Amino acid sequence: MAASVEVGGGRGAVGVGRVARSFLQLRWASILLVAVGLAAYFTFSNENFLTRPNVLTIGQFLAAVSIITVGEVMLIICGEIDLSVGQVFALAPFIMYFTWNAGLPIWIGVLAALAVSSVVGLLNGLITVLLRVPSFVTTLGTLFLLNGFTLTISRATPVATPENGTRFAEVMGHNIYFELGWAIAVIVVMQIVLSYTRWGLYTFSVGGNMVGASEAGINVRLIKISNFMLTSTLGGLAGILESYRITSIAPLAGGTNVMFQAVAAAVIGGTALAGGSGTIVGGLLGALVLSILLDGFTLQGINADTFDMILGIAILLAMVMNVALQRSRRRGMA
Amino acid sequence: MKGDRTPHDLGQDAPNWPRPNRRQLLRGAAWATAGATIPGFLEACAQGGTSSSGGGQGNFPSHPKWKFTFVNHVTTNPFFVPTKYGIEDACALLGCDFQFTGSENSITSEMVNAMNTAINAKVDGIAVCITDPTAFDDPVARALDAGIPVVAYNADAPPGSKNRRMAYLGQDLFVSGQRLGQRIVSLVKSGPVVGFIATPGQLNIQPRIDGAKAAIQASGAPIQFEAVATGAQVNDELQRIEAYYLGHKDLKGMFAVDAGSTQGVAQIMQKYNLAQAGVHAGGYDLLDTTLDLINKGHLDFTIDQQPYLQGFLPTIQLFLYKLSGGLQQPADTNTGLLFVTKQNVGPYLKTKTRFEGSSDKQQVVSGG
Repeated sequence: MAASVEVGGGRGAVGVGRVARSFLQLRWASILLVAVGLAAYFTFSNENFLTRPNVLTIGQFLAAVSIITVGEVMLIICGEIDLSVGQVFALAPFIMYFTWNAGLPIWIGVLAALAVSSVVGLLNGLITVLLRVPSFVTTLGTLFLLNGFTLTISRATPVATPENGTRFAEVMGHNIYFELGWAIAVIVVMQIVLSYTRWGLYTFSVGGNMVGASEAGINVRLIKISNFMLTSTLGGLAGILESYRITSIAPLAGGTNVMFQAVAAAVIGGTALAGGSGTIVGGLLGALVLSILLDGFTLQGINADTFDMILGIAILLAMVMNVALQRSRRRGMA
Repeated sequence: MKGDRTPHDLGQDAPNWPRPNRRQLLRGAAWATAGATIPGFLEACAQGGTSSSGGGQGNFPSHPKWKFTFVNHVTTNPFFVPTKYGIEDACALLGCDFQFTGSENSITSEMVNAMNTAINAKVDGIAVCITDPTAFDDPVARALDAGIPVVAYNADAPPGSKNRRMAYLGQDLFVSGQRLGQRIVSLVKSGPVVGFIATPGQLNIQPRIDGAKAAIQASGAPIQFEAVATGAQVNDELQRIEAYYLGHKDLKGMFAVDAGSTQGVAQIMQKYNLAQAGVHAGGYDLLDTTLDLINKGHLDFTIDQQPYLQGFLPTIQLFLYKLSGGLQQPADTNTGLLFVTKQNVGPYLKTKTRFEGSSDKQQVVSGG
C-alpha cells in the first residue's frame, strides 16, 4: 500500500537533516520542489506574480481543476479513468438552473445537480464493470452523449447563474476564498479517506492487483463503481462552483480541456497511469504546477499563438526535473 | 525549473544522505546552466510573439511603452489574424506593446482567468470580446476600479446589461443581421430557409440570427426560417451542414452567421451544385474558400466586418485614453458592413494583404 509511505516520518531525533530527509522521502516532495522552483522563477521575472490579487488568480486556475483531480486520482489508482468528467462539469450547473427555474429552492437544485452527476458516474461504472467495456471507451461515449445532451437542453445558450449577488452565491464559489475552501475541504477529506479508510486501502488493492484483491474478498466492482460516482459528483461540484465564480452557466464550459488538466495533474503529481499508487496531495501539487504555469506565462504577456508551445516546453522541463529529483530521492532512501 | 536547487543541497545535513561525487556535481552544474538559460529562451520566445519595440511615429510626446491586453474567445481562429495585424501595426505606430490571449475554444472561464491575470499584471488597457451576457461584468468592473480602461471589441454586452465597458468597437451585430434578413427576403421570396450558427447564444453571432429573423418577419414574406447550430469546430460544421441539407432537400436558401459555417455552406452549395438549382446562399467573413466560391458563383454574398479595424481601432482608442489622461474617452465605433458579391470579390482574391490576413507583408495596395 503506497499510502503508508506518505504518512510516516519525523519520529525520533529532530535534527534539520532528519526533517529534510523525511521530507524528501515523501512521494510528492519532488513535485513540491518543482512547484516552488516555478513560483521562484516567476517571482523573479515578474514583480506582479507574488502579489495578493495574483495569488488569488492562481487560486482561480487551481480550485476547480484540483477538485476534479481528486476524483481522477482515486479512479486512476483503482485502474480506471474518466474522460467524461468535463462534460459533467458543464451539465451539472444546467441541472441546477432548470431545477431552480421550475420553482424549487436553489439548494435543491444543487443537490439535484450532484445527484444527476453521480448517476452519470453510476452509469459509467456499471457499463465498465458489468459489461466489461474499457473505461476509456465507456467514458468517451458518455463524453459525447453528455455534451450533446447539455447543448440540447440548454439550446446551446448560456444563462446567468441563479441567485447572483446573494450570500448563497458567495458560498458556492463567487467568492474565491469559498471556492478554494471547497477545494481544500475535498482534498483533506479524500486524502484521509485514501490513507486511513477501508475504501482507500481497497482502492489501492484493486488497482495494484485486481485478482489478488478479489480473492482477498474485496468487492472489486463496488470499489470501482463508487470511484466512478465520486469522480462524476466532484466534476459536477466543480462545474457549479465555476459557474458561480464567473456568474454564467455556459454549455461550452469545461469539456476536454478541464478533463485533460485534471488527468495531467494526477499523473504529474505521481499517480501511476497503470493504477495501484498515487496521492491526493500529489494531484493537488500537479494541479498547482499547471496553474502556476498558466498564470505565470499569461502574466508575462505571452501571446496565444506561442503560448501552447512554451507551456509544452515548460511542462516537459518541469517533469524531467521531477523525475530526476525522484530518482535522487530513491537513491537517498536506498 | 530552478536547476541550481537539487536534493543534494537540501540533504547536506542529513547524516545518511550520500555525498555527491564528481559525476553528480557535473550533472548538478548542467541543471544549473539549464535553469539559467531556459527561462531566457522562453522569454525570447515570448518576445518573439509580442509587437516590435520602438518609439512610434508622429508628433506625440515621449510616453511609457504602454501595454494593452486583448482577451479573445477563439485566439487561434483564422478570422482574427487580420485583427492581430491591426493591433501589431497600431502598436508599432504608437510605440506600444500588446498581448493577445484568452481561450482557444470559447471557454468563458478561461477568458475570465486571462482577464484577471491581465489586471494583476497592471496592463495599461484591456480590449475584450464580451461573448457571455454576464460573466464579464465583474472582471470589467475590477479592471476599471484598478484604473485600467476597458473596451469591448468584436462582441458586446447585450442591451440593458450592467456591464461597464467604456465602448464597443466592431460591427453593429443586430443591424448586420437585419441587413442579412433583408437580403434573404430579396433573394429567396418564399419557402424554407435555414440559418446556420456555430454557437448559439454567443454574443458575437447570436444577435445576427436574431436580426435576420426580425427582418424576415417584418417583411411579411412567406419564408419559414429555421436556425440550426453547427458547433465550434470547422470540420464538424461542414458535416452538420451537409447532413442538414440531405435531410431538407426542399431548401430555398442556406445562410450562415459565422465564418466557419459560411465556408461550410459554400462547400455544400458547390458539392451539390445548388446555385444552378435556384438555391440562394450567403454568410459572413472572408475565409479564402468562401471568397473563391463567391467568385465561382456558388455563394451569392458574404459580409465583410473589417476584422483589421477591430484590432487597430481599440489600440488607438486605448492609447489616446492613456495619452490624454482620460480626456479622450473611447467611443462606440461601427467597423462597418460590406456585402462582398461576385461583382466586387475580385480585389479580395487578387491581392494578399494584412487587411484580410492573407499575407503578413507590409505593402501599399493600389486601387480602391
